[in-house]
Amino acid sequence: MPVAPRSSLDRRRFLTASAGAAFTAAALPGCASSVDSGGGAKGAKETLTIMDVAWEKKDKQKAEQELGMNLNIVTYDVTKLNAMLAGNNPPDVVRGIGATDVPYFAARGLMADLDTYFAKSDVLKPSDLAAANDVWRYDSETRKQGTGPRYGMAKDYSQDCMFWYRTDMFEAAGLELPSDTEPLSCDEWLDLGKRLVKRRLGKVKVYGLSAGPVVAPLTTIMWMTASAGGSLFAEDLATVDFSSPEALKALQWYLDYAKADIGPSVVNPNPDGWDWPTYQANRMAMANDGYWFGGTIGGDAKIAEVSRFAPAPQLGSNRVSPCFGGTGYWVPKGAKNKDTAWKYFEWYFGGKLAQDRATTGWGIPSLKSLVPKMPQDTAFHKQSYEVQQRELPHFSVLPVSPYAQVDALNVVLTKVLPDAVKSGTAAGKIADALNSRINDQLARGKELVG
Amino acid sequence: MSTDQLAGPDARSPMRAALARPGSRRSRRPRSLRARRTGAFYVFAGPWLLGFLAMTVFPLGYALWLSFTNSDGLSPNARFVGLSNYREVFTDPETLASLGRTGLFTVITVPLTIAAGLLLAVLLNQPIRARGVFRTLVYLPAVVPPVGSALVFKLIFDRDSGSANGLLDLFGVNGLSWLADPYARWVLITLTVWGCGNVMIISLAGLQDIPAELLDAARMDGASWWQSFTRITLPLLSPVLFFQLITQIIATLQSFLPLLISVDPTPKGVGAVPESNQLIMIDVFTQYFSNGRYGYASALLWVLFAFVMAVTFVVFKLSRGVVFYSVDPEQTQNKPRTIGDS
Repeated sequence: MPVAPRSSLDRRRFLTASAGAAFTAAALPGCASSVDSGGGAKGAKETLTIMDVAWEKKDKQKAEQELGMNLNIVTYDVTKLNAMLAGNNPPDVVRGIGATDVPYFAARGLMADLDTYFAKSDVLKPSDLAAANDVWRYDSETRKQGTGPRYGMAKDYSQDCMFWYRTDMFEAAGLELPSDTEPLSCDEWLDLGKRLVKRRLGKVKVYGLSAGPVVAPLTTIMWMTASAGGSLFAEDLATVDFSSPEALKALQWYLDYAKADIGPSVVNPNPDGWDWPTYQANRMAMANDGYWFGGTIGGDAKIAEVSRFAPAPQLGSNRVSPCFGGTGYWVPKGAKNKDTAWKYFEWYFGGKLAQDRATTGWGIPSLKSLVPKMPQDTAFHKQSYEVQQRELPHFSVLPVSPYAQVDALNVVLTKVLPDAVKSGTAAGKIADALNSRINDQLARGKELVG
Repeated sequence: MSTDQLAGPDARSPMRAALARPGSRRSRRPRSLRARRTGAFYVFAGPWLLGFLAMTVFPLGYALWLSFTNSDGLSPNARFVGLSNYREVFTDPETLASLGRTGLFTVITVPLTIAAGLLLAVLLNQPIRARGVFRTLVYLPAVVPPVGSALVFKLIFDRDSGSANGLLDLFGVNGLSWLADPYARWVLITLTVWGCGNVMIISLAGLQDIPAELLDAARMDGASWWQSFTRITLPLLSPVLFFQLITQIIATLQSFLPLLISVDPTPKGVGAVPESNQLIMIDVFTQYFSNGRYGYASALLWVLFAFVMAVTFVVFKLSRGVVFYSVDPEQTQNKPRTIGDS
């Protein structure tokens, strides 16, 4: 009698089937991404996916009401963004830092050219865009930032090498206040920091000077090199040269600053991660932050009363005052709802929200027409506004290389510099080490970008 | 013709007929039991298996493929590079140094954590007042999220505003840069050992499983506390301690979050981890998310995986003769028992 075939699934078949199902499940989102969902059913609201910092529920509801669309807010996470971009399923709008994100993403063909949208828009006219929006431009022919198509827009910006100082601490130390019009030399600035620092038993009780972002010394060195009349990156942005006289001078300045131990540095990072808590706690005399920092100072009347803004110090005779942020939004090339994304752009960058933002003092508006709305009602706001206006002509875009993320280059600096500072290694030797390691990174990136 | 005749000879014996028909109730019974067991297996194992395949096997396979490329996840010109990423792992002095630091960190923290957990378990197994409160307090650090613990330690050990230097200040002693080298490693070890509550809880459970009669008998025979502990308690607790040794080694070799004690946990911040705390996972994170070297980082992960497997294998081999099981694991291993076995 023939044996009836086994009707139930055996374990081996089950495992095989499960593997197939798992791989299918993993592949499904990729397949789904290739299907253009469009705007959904006729009459249904469009949904715009935005990758951004977390939104409050009431802000989201209000925005949805004003825009007449649903918003899907995905919390910003660089790893998630990379995965979405690699899977060709990107968000429609992405928050980004224009100065450092654009070369990297644009060179890889991941950003949508928004020139046609700007050309057609009645709200965001190119003639009304502040020069800082140039950090969102990238020319793929010359591989240069600052020219070429616009790939995004800044919500606001600052000239990040300016600084704030405490008048009470200057007075207590018997020092003359820095000029509102003439920039200090970097050496004078460092000297002031040394005079303002207060120490006790091996600890710094009051920082004299907090110079540059602690975990991102690259931009500080780029700015100072430019001020000395040089450029850290080569013309084709494929290599760096820390050994040039200008770059070496800038590197030496940073080493002197870190050795002096007068403020947070790669050797002794600030546990708060930014200057405000220390500045507010009367433990910092000078903070190297742009206009945006006035937004926090303005919120504390007592601190505002003893705070003033000053032009960016200069290492050489070439006066530069760059922006290393220009935070705003961009639209990925693979975004499914570009028209809707542009609607959001106009609402966010040119609508009432932008006008309200301009009045807070948390940054210089990215539209020139909104500049008069910047706060000027108190002595503090008036002084910072005037200093800022005088600084604007010295704005410049210092291009970064498209062949590596700025974070990657900063990691090299934060690895190399602490030991170098402690061991007292000569700046020339450090420059050689930095050249070798960073140029290796850039070469690898260049091979990938082509 | 009767119906019996039509049905054939078997029809007169219902029992035999039932046995003859393949679909009959009687013939299905043994299969039905087996089918039920099989079904139970699939129902219970299925969700896990699907998750395992989708969340573990697929990513691991993908990472293996990536490890043979120079991909940065986004660029169009990524290509197959063969074993060059693996060659770089074994020739890059920084990677080898971080592997060495990882090994050293494991060798220091795992015994310390297990010893601290065991010591606390022994203390909290004593009949003392408010024992539950003490057990909760000691276990509390283990339930604090690692990021929270790291933040607290960062605030305590900050050079300029931390309470550790504040304390030294009271005695007129110079403050130290705790979160920088050469002290950063010891702060990290302290942070790791501080979370020994998990070890304490498992050891406590093991201690409570030791028959009191054995200890009473030893005491009556004149054994000291130390003799009872080393000759009875430790041997009986050795499978529990061995389990903890293995899990602690695996977890410590993959330590990541506590290493961010002094830095901003972002791709750029991670680069500022002091050199002595730059363990292999910092290297992996930096290569993935700062440098965008997906291929090389994947190779690093596979090397770490092989390293973990090798260490675990060696520890298993070395444990023979040191770990005492009340039931011989070799015997139970050869004769699995499942639901329905009689």
